[in-house]
Order: sequence, then structure tokens, then C-alpha cells
Amino acid sequence: MIKNYFKTALRNLWKNKATSFINLFGLSIGMTAAVFIFLWVQNEMAFDNFHPDKKNIYRITNSIQVNEEEAWVWESSPMLMAETAIKEIPEVEKAARVVINSWAAPVLGINHKLFSEKTTAYVDKSWFNMFHYDFVAGDAAAFGRDPFTIILSQSKAKKYFGDANAIGQLIKVDTVNYTVQGIIKDNPVNSSFRFDILLHMDGRLADPRTLKNDKTWNNFGYITFLKLRSDASQPLVGTKLNDIINKNRTNHNDKVSIQPLNGMYFESNIQYSSMPHGSKKTTYIFSILGLLLLVTACINYVNLTTAKASLRAKEVSVRKIIGAERKHLFFQFIAESLTISLLSLAVTLVLIQLCLPYFNTITEKQFELPVSSIAMWKVLSGTLLFATILNGIYPAALLSSFRPLNVFRGRSVLKMRDGAVRKGLVVFQFSLSMILIMGAIVIYRQLQYIQTTNPGYTVSQVMSLQIPSKSFRFLKPEARQTFLTSIKQELQSQSSIALVSSGGNEIVDVSSASSGNSDWDGRDTTYNPTIAHLSVDADFQKMFGLQMKQGYWFSAGNEDLNNYILNETAAAEFNMHQPIIGQRFTWGGDTGKVIGVVKDFHYKSLHEKIGPMVLSNNQGGDAFLFIKTIPGNIPKAVSAAGAVWAKFIPSEPFDPVFLDDSFNNLYKTDIKTSQLIFIFSIIAIIIAALGLFGLAAFTTEQRTKEIGIRKVLGASLRQITILLSKDFVRLVVIAIVIASPVAWWVMNKWLQDFAYRISISAWIFIAAGALALFIALLSVSFQAIKAAITNPVKSLRTE
Amino acid sequence: MLELKGIYKWYNSGNNRTFLLKDVDLSVKAGEFISIMGPSGSGKSTLLNVIGMLDTFDQGEYHFLHESVHKLKEKQRSGLYKQYIGFVFQAYHLIDELTVYENIETPLIYQDVKGSERKAMVADMLDRFQIVGKKDLFPTQLSGGQQQLVGIARALIAKPKLLLADEPTGNLNSKQGEEIMDLFKELNNEGVTIIQVTHSEKNAGYGSRTIHLLDGMIQKNN
Repeated sequence: MIKNYFKTALRNLWKNKATSFINLFGLSIGMTAAVFIFLWVQNEMAFDNFHPDKKNIYRITNSIQVNEEEAWVWESSPMLMAETAIKEIPEVEKAARVVINSWAAPVLGINHKLFSEKTTAYVDKSWFNMFHYDFVAGDAAAFGRDPFTIILSQSKAKKYFGDANAIGQLIKVDTVNYTVQGIIKDNPVNSSFRFDILLHMDGRLADPRTLKNDKTWNNFGYITFLKLRSDASQPLVGTKLNDIINKNRTNHNDKVSIQPLNGMYFESNIQYSSMPHGSKKTTYIFSILGLLLLVTACINYVNLTTAKASLRAKEVSVRKIIGAERKHLFFQFIAESLTISLLSLAVTLVLIQLCLPYFNTITEKQFELPVSSIAMWKVLSGTLLFATILNGIYPAALLSSFRPLNVFRGRSVLKMRDGAVRKGLVVFQFSLSMILIMGAIVIYRQLQYIQTTNPGYTVSQVMSLQIPSKSFRFLKPEARQTFLTSIKQELQSQSSIALVSSGGNEIVDVSSASSGNSDWDGRDTTYNPTIAHLSVDADFQKMFGLQMKQGYWFSAGNEDLNNYILNETAAAEFNMHQPIIGQRFTWGGDTGKVIGVVKDFHYKSLHEKIGPMVLSNNQGGDAFLFIKTIPGNIPKAVSAAGAVWAKFIPSEPFDPVFLDDSFNNLYKTDIKTSQLIFIFSIIAIIIAALGLFGLAAFTTEQRTKEIGIRKVLGASLRQITILLSKDFVRLVVIAIVIASPVAWWVMNKWLQDFAYRISISAWIFIAAGALALFIALLSVSFQAIKAAITNPVKSLRTE
Repeated sequence: MLELKGIYKWYNSGNNRTFLLKDVDLSVKAGEFISIMGPSGSGKSTLLNVIGMLDTFDQGEYHFLHESVHKLKEKQRSGLYKQYIGFVFQAYHLIDELTVYENIETPLIYQDVKGSERKAMVADMLDRFQIVGKKDLFPTQLSGGQQQLVGIARALIAKPKLLLADEPTGNLNSKQGEEIMDLFKELNNEGVTIIQVTHSEKNAGYGSRTIHLLDGMIQKNN
């Protein structure tokens, strides 16, 4: 009987090729989008769940109260925390620390080639007892035996040594030789640990200067994981950790808590996290979007199947008379929907293979060959089940409900109610498409606003070079300044370089900020705002075109060494004595006076409001060199700068970054969101238009006779087209009315995330509505015009 | 085999009640071959559908074998006709998506007959109607007479006790019609009870008894 069901199903699909194509095509792209989304969602939800001890692993979180309103939350702890916790808290079974070198990346020297790798980390040897790694060669025990050992991921080993055996090879990490003792499989996509070059922690601490620097309770550099006994109480361990920190850090008001490993990925309050994080909200939003896209694709099948129900009515009736029960027919129609879903799934698999590289680019993850992953099959079978049920239930229930005699008597088998359901579904499809289109327009407008908003500085043709802190970390301040001055002079003398300057941060994203670090006359002693800080040199203003509101910029000599410039916001909020110029100002213990007020500029992305900022003239401490090239001379300037770099800092690879790129990086997520919403809205509108096309074809076919009569009576082409398009246009208009407020509400929420944003104007809704209307008309009028230009004699003869 | 007593069927339009069947009494014995005749709209098909339990009636009693049909629920009724009654239609009503073989096989599938048994039964039937060579064709590839043969084969496959035929030759030319009627006669001789609706006196002549209907009432019973 099952075989029989599928046989009929396939024959029916073949018989109605056009409808089947619409169904197959729409369902396939809907399913592809949904599968990709679910794959991503599944990965987000399954972060770090592959460690066998995941239930008992926690990471220590430190919350440092900087003023009454504000606390800084850090994922890292003092170095001594781990060993103290093991010693003093019986519930702690194991501890493992990691120092991720995302900022001060060490340079790896392999066979006289230098590699600057941002994915290195120092881990304790206990790391491999706590977390799960698949060793391809070597083992964790070998890693434990010697402090100067290194473990590489497969892809890094291949990068450095090709197909040769990497075990036992030497890698020079800055100045120290490490031996490769293990090769591990690449980190799974759902791992929070993105570092793939693991160095022994003891190797790091073998440097007495580092050890001295870190072996204090004031330096929070070590991300510390604890494995607790399974019966341990999370709050109690937190309290005990608090006791430890309060005993060792007196006069501080720190709070320690522990974060379970599962859930760590969704943390949102960590300052400067060096691990990837996701947003639960985004995950939910995308799950819903995936479901909606799938639903909208299924609607085409439901609509076209139920619309054509009358064509199937005879078959249903005959089957009933010759003995079919309702359940037989119900399952027959379910089998039909399963068949089309299965066929779509096959197409989907092909599409997924084709689109996977783009998907990996957009998600910046390396999803593996999908057919070999269990998660993939879970997602695929879930999608298939969902589509089959959605496609099958309603049409099957409707079609199997016919009473045989009614059909033979020519009574209408379709109730009014069914037509209403179909209209409702079309409205739903178009509302969804419209919300997505409106969303895409709003996001695009906001991104355009960001691009065109004057940030208060210019970065075109400016490249930045970061001097690794270790290059001059242990130099005395005077030596540092000499070093910096001479490299700047050398750069300035290049013919392709217009201007050279230095600063403590890239102007597009100033991450340095502190609180309770500053003082001025008239300050309320309880007022300790977080103040952004940027150290600059005399040429910085000219380099970025900063505007002064009052006073003057730092001079080139030493006279402004301890003087400060405030931004407008700081000048307005600090409540200083007037005139501000000349007032005493202390920053980090160094006292000088305010010599100028600079006009506000966006030193952070437009997501964040401009806060108070202090600019200091901290010569010699700057880690960034900025080089403005002479227009048209970029390649020449890059190679000239490279040569100077090689002369001064030969131990480090030359890695220039253009600030335009840094600027765009600020909005990477936003740009990605806009791309995704754009793709989704295209998919949604294609599916909706296809469905409308199919429905229009069918209704036109049904009304062939009516059209013929009307034409004989003298109706014009225009009148016929309007007659046939009217109903569909009305549905789209209803969809516009429904979609507009929803889109407004959703996009307003999205915009809240930007401190500086556009306002949503009415034309966005009008434009999106007009677009949807145009697409709907296009799909409907094709059929209508085709019917209207047919010779009526032809259509009437067929009756 | 079956007995109708005082069967009424009507519909109301406004204040008027229009009768489709009016006080119909009919009793049919096993092995009879009955023809129902009458002008268009006289209620022939309605009567046939009532007998076939595809349609309900508003008043009266209907006994089929030992069941009181008027007391049965819809599900039991359909169970009854599936077991004992086969239908043949003027427009054949074959399923276009199925081959000749599959059309004949379908009723057996719905009755959960085993695959091997089905095969044997369908093969017998194809053999008997001499359409073995056509078993893989689809209905649209057959002539009307051939389609009706398949329709009859399908009606007979489940070995019904009663065959109901609604103008079985209405869409056929006279030669094809004759063949079908000869077949009916043959089936009747083998013991199948047949009730047919027909417009043709000639076809009615094949039967053992003719019932004349006019405005839903039985005129003459010979």
C-alpha cells in the first residue's frame, strides 16, 4: 500500500509539472535557508558541549567595582587564584589556566621564517585533563614533562611543516625554543577555545620578569577554569573564592563568581573577552526566521494543493466508492507531501554543498562537510519532518474529507472557509517578505548613515603599525622615546610618506579607559566616571584632522608633557572651574593643566555614545605608528615603511593595517546582519511571488470561460487584467498594512542598539510596499494578460 | 437480498418540499437483473445511490441482507457496501493516474488483501476480460468500451453480491454497448445480482425485470 501511495504521488507530480516545479523550487530554497540557519543555531546552542566533564567545569569571573555605578567584569583572574583555590577549597578537584595572546602575540620562528600568530595561548599541563582534545600525534603526557613544549593543531602543523612529521620539531617563540610534542585535531566549530597553538604555561613563567610581573593579586591575566566535585554547590564555591580574593586584595570591593562552562558562550557582560561569544537573542531571532522561511515555503504547497483540490475530487470520490477509508486517503496525501519534501531535500543537499563556502564566510566558522556530521542530519531530518507535517496535514485533511456523491453531482467541494485560509496564508507570506524588505532597507540606511556621518576625523590613506609591547616593554622611558622618535624620523624622511604620528590606540576604536584615575579642582569626590584615554603626539591632530574648540594642541617639544586636552563631552560633564583652559588636571598621578578642548569625535563605533575623553601627551609610550601616504603612493609607502620596520624591529613581522579597514571592522556584525537580512528578504519574496504566480495561473485557468464571455461582451485587455489582479493586489495591500507596524517596531528595537541612528521615515514603508506590490503584480498580471489576449472563441470552444 | 419500504427523499427550497423519491417500495431477490427506467429527473440515479448506500433517505426502511440500513451509522453503512456492492458508472470513473492493472487492484488494497493474493485475483480478472495485453496502459489510452470493461472488472474484483450500474453504456457506441450488456447477462447467469439504470429499452430487455420511475414514484412493476 505504501508503494502504491508513492507511485501515485510521483505520477501526480509529473502530471502537474508547473505546479510541482514551483513547489520543488520554493521548498528547496526555503529549506536550504532554513537548514543553514538551523545548522548555525544548533552550533550556537551546542557550544562547548563536547567536553566530558562539561557539567562540572566553571570559569572564575571577577567583577571589579570601579565606582558606585560601574563594575568591570573580567573573565581573567590573578595568576595565584588557581593554586590557592585548589589548596583552600575542597570542592575544587582540578584547576587549569590559560593566557590567550590575542594582543601581544608572540612571533614564531620556524626554519628562519617569522609568523605572527594571533591564536597562541599558554595553558597549564592540567588543561588537557580538564578539556577534551583529540590527539593525532604525541600526547598530553609528553606536554607535561617539559616546560618548553608546544602543541599544534593539525592545520597549523600542516602550515608550518607541510606533510613532514611535526613531532620533535623546534619552534622559536620570540626568543625561546619550544619542541612540538603533540598534534591535535582542529578545534571544533562549537568550541570557545579558538587558539590552536598551545604553549606550556611553565615555559612562560620561566622568564623571571614575567613571573615577577604576574605573581601578584593585582594582575588579572589568567583565565582560570575549575573542575568541581559533582556535589559542589556553585554559590558556596563562589563565596569561598570571594574570601580568597578579599583576603589577598584588601581595600578592594571585588566580587568573584563562577560561570558554568555551558552558557559561557552566551555571556554578554565580560569586558574585553578573548573568547568568541554569541547572543541568545540573536540565536532565537534566527531560529524564528528560519522557521518562518520554512513555513512560507510550505505555504506554496498548501495553497496550490488545496486550490487544485477540485481537480483531485473525482479521484478521491472514486477511491472512496471502491473502498478507501478516510485514513487511506489521508495517508495518500501525506505521502504526496512527503515525496515533494524528500525531493526538495535532495535538491537542498546539493544547494547546501554549493553554498557552504559562502555560509562559512558569512559565519566565519568552518562548518565541516555536512553529510558527515550528526548535527547536520538532525537538522535535515527535523526540517523534513516539519515540512512534511506542515505541507501534509491541512491539504490531506481537506482533500480526504470530500463526500463522493457531492463531487459527481457537481456541487462545489470547496467551502468558503478554505478560500479564506488560502488568502490568509498569502497575506502571511507577503507580510513576512515585507517585514524583511523593510528591515533590509532600515539596516542599509543605518549603515549608510554610519558611512556618511562625519566621525570628526579622517582616516583615508592612513595605515597603522602596532609596535609589539615586548619590543620596548623593558626599555626605560627615555630610551623608549628615543627609539620611537628615531623610527618616526626615519619614516618621515621617506618620499612616499606625507606624515607620521604615534598614539596609544587606533582612533577608530579607543579601548583604553579607566575610572578613579583622575582629579581636578572642584571635583565631587564621589564622581568617578569612566573616562576614555588616548595618548597622542604633536602631529596627531594634523594626521586625523581633529578640530579644536578652545585652546591649542600639544606642541612638539617637552613643554606639554604632562598637560591634557579634554573632549567637549568631558568639558561639559566634569563641572570644572571656568575657564577650563589652564585648570589643574591629574591623570594616573601625573598632574598638569588643561591646554585645550577638542571637538567631540567618534572614538568608538556609532553604537556607543561619545563619553568623556582625556588626551595626554605620553611621549614614548605609544604603541601605534600612523603613516599618511602621499596620494597615489600607497604601494610605495607600504614597502618603504616595511624597510624601515625591518631595520628597527627585525624580530617582528611587518603587518600594516589601513584604518579604513579598521573603521569598517567596527561594523562587521552590522554589515553581516544586513547581508543576511537582504538574502532572507530575497528568498522570502521569491517564494511568495512563486506562490502567487501559481495561484494566479490556477484561478485564471478556472475563469477562462468567464473571461471569454466578458471579451465577447466587449471587455478591454486592461479591464480583464484588473479583474484578475484585483483580488491578489488586495491581499498584498492587507499585507502591507500588517507588516508596516511590525517592521517599525522590530527595526526600532534594532536601532536602539546604536547611540547614533536614523529615524524610520514613512518612505521606507512606502518603498517596500511599492516593491512588493510591483512583484505581486508582475507575477499575477503575466497570467492575466495571457488570458486576456487569448481569442475568446478558443476558450469558449473548450467548454 | 434487499428490501425498500416506503422510502422518501426530499429537499426543501423555501416553503416548498420537492420529492426526489416518494413512497418507493422495492424488493430484490438474489440473482435478479433489474433495470430502472424513466425520464431525466425521475429519480433513477437517486434510487440507485440509495440502494448503493452512497446517499441517504429521509423516511422509510431499507433492509440489506440482514441489516437494517436505516438504523446504521455512516461508517457501518460504508463498511457494508464496500463488502457487498460493486459500482459501475456511465463515465467509468477510472483513476487516471493508475494503470489498468492498478485500477483493478486498488479495491483489494483498501481491503488489506495480501500482495500475492491480489496478484492472482487481478490476473484472473484481466484474463477473463481479455485485457491482459492492456494491463500497463493508462485509462486515457483506452477506448470507451475498454475503459468500461476495466470499470466493471474493478467493480467485480472484490466479488460483490450486488452490482449497481448507472447507465453503463451511456457513453459507448452501440457495438461496445452490446458487448457490455452481454457481459452483464453472463455475470448475472453466474449469480451476480445486477441493478442497472438505463435509458434504452433494448438494454432493459437484458434484465429480468424493469422498474419505471416518474417524479420519484414507481409506476409499473412487471
